[in-house]
Amino acid sequence: MDFFILNILNAMQLSMLIFILAIGLTLIFGLMDTLNLAHGGFYTIGAYAGSQLAINGSFWLAFLVSPLVAGIAGAILQRFALQPLASKGRSTHLDFALFTFGLLFVIMGGAEIIFGSAYLSIDAPAILKGGFAISGVTFPYYRVFVIFLGLTCGGVLWLLIDRTVLGAVVRAGVADRETVCTLGIDINRVFVVVFALGCAFAGLAGVVSAPIFGIYSHMGASILVVTLIVVVVGGLGSFKGSFWASIIVGTFETMAQAYAPDVQLYGLYILLALILAVKPEGLFAIQRRIA
Amino acid sequence: MSKQKLIPIIKCTSRNRVIHLTVIAVGLMTLVPFVLNDYQISLGTEVMIFALYALGINVLLGYTGYVSLGHAMFLGIGGYGLAILSVLWGWPVWAAVPATFLIGAILGGVIGFACLRVGKIQFLVLTLAFSQMLSGAFTKLKATGGTDGMAGIPRPDLAWLGVDSWNNDIFYLYVLTFFLVVTFTLYRVLHSPFGSVLVGIRENERRMVALGYRTGRYKIGAFAISGFVATVAGLLLAQRTGFATPDYMSWSYSGEGILMVIIGGMQSFSGPILGAGFYVLAKAGLADITDEYIVVFGLLFMIVVAGFRTGLSGLIKVILTWRTRNERT
Repeated sequence: MDFFILNILNAMQLSMLIFILAIGLTLIFGLMDTLNLAHGGFYTIGAYAGSQLAINGSFWLAFLVSPLVAGIAGAILQRFALQPLASKGRSTHLDFALFTFGLLFVIMGGAEIIFGSAYLSIDAPAILKGGFAISGVTFPYYRVFVIFLGLTCGGVLWLLIDRTVLGAVVRAGVADRETVCTLGIDINRVFVVVFALGCAFAGLAGVVSAPIFGIYSHMGASILVVTLIVVVVGGLGSFKGSFWASIIVGTFETMAQAYAPDVQLYGLYILLALILAVKPEGLFAIQRRIA
Repeated sequence: MSKQKLIPIIKCTSRNRVIHLTVIAVGLMTLVPFVLNDYQISLGTEVMIFALYALGINVLLGYTGYVSLGHAMFLGIGGYGLAILSVLWGWPVWAAVPATFLIGAILGGVIGFACLRVGKIQFLVLTLAFSQMLSGAFTKLKATGGTDGMAGIPRPDLAWLGVDSWNNDIFYLYVLTFFLVVTFTLYRVLHSPFGSVLVGIRENERRMVALGYRTGRYKIGAFAISGFVATVAGLLLAQRTGFATPDYMSWSYSGEGILMVIIGGMQSFSGPILGAGFYVLAKAGLADITDEYIVVFGLLFMIVVAGFRTGLSGLIKVILTWRTRNERT
């Protein structure tokens, strides 16, 4: 039973980490209809930026600054690459997915050139060292912190979307982009802000995951696959969907690892195929107008 | 938003010109074993195998407009199909090879049916999931050697022709035969009304439905053809290296396939062939200079997607038309 509780806690920790990544992707997709395959790249950027900041500063400095770094990188990508392409009439689905896919390769390769292929890590902050014991097995405080961070991120984003003017503009943009433009709102500027915010979440996930999973050049690729699965299972563009799908996927992964390691490599994909077989649009699909 | 310029799939290049260029290209390719050295011949073999793989991907990516992030699974199906049938079950090679092709086409249809029920974004993730599922399953499967994969993939016995397929030159010609037959057949298929329907689906699926086409069936057909061609490539790849490993199904192989198609130019028939040639040769060249060739290709990929959607084949076409114009004046 105690082993089970430990697994539940681990599952929650993984779920919340995936959730932080997934809301970034969902935010961008929901408003801009852009599938950002470089999301794993921004996760990598956040982690490496964090490792550099943590060497000379502290974990908390890395924790605060690396999401900014990832966010700024995202803003630059949106403002100087994706936006000009969109105004040239490029399909946000096919072309942007391919473009950001190329960028993912560049970021992964670039990380390997600059930092080498060795594993790096960030030490958990002193205040979160140690943990509490569950019948002999310690559960680190740091993982509890990750669980709370995930919930906080979800809460903050919910407040931002539901209770602020920016949120209202974003929601209006999702519903009807043209009308928002006619109301005199510079939607391109909103896009840059939202894209930066989404990438900042990826960067945050990167730096937070570093003390648990370590940092390596291809870290973005494997996590991207899991995040994509979450976003698709939850329903593209749906925050509620991302939350529940993160919990389903995180729990499934952890439980498979603990109780059926043989299934772990492919079980998740079977789950995805089954869910999409029943609900092709995902669990909480948002209704879009068919243009 | 400015009006999007549509690139028609059926080119206005005169028929004669296409035939001339094809005959010259085939002639040159046949000469390769007699002119070049062993290493170059082996590179040529690799180019043709990956050209087939890229051609398969382009049926979906360029013609039908669907991005599959999991096409490497068919490389694996080709390799493991032959390995299981011949090494484990002891089938003769002449029976195992066509059986593997059949399996590839059938699995292509089945997986296509499963993946095409959803939208384009979900399709991308679902194809990736299927390839991960297969590679995970083969990594765990003890009978096929787990992570190590299977060795001792047989090549065909060509003694009745008086040659040995383990000879580098002969194997090149063996692959060339497959390459020419599959490429020619695929060319005919994609330049038939069937191919036009696929292009129609890419440009505006709702209109095709309104015109009375059962687009679902056409898309499954496209996926099956695409899977079949990639299976051929996978089988030849396994015969070339002598191994079938889960590695061939990894998503980096899927990504490299897309890379070849984009660099060569999607939406044109010859693009994937040029792209595969460029990719394999440049990779061999770059590997001597830098380990991180993937950065170079990633950048190239972004530039092509952003600025030159027609890729290398578009570039060549520009040069050809420019020359024709000069000849006339």
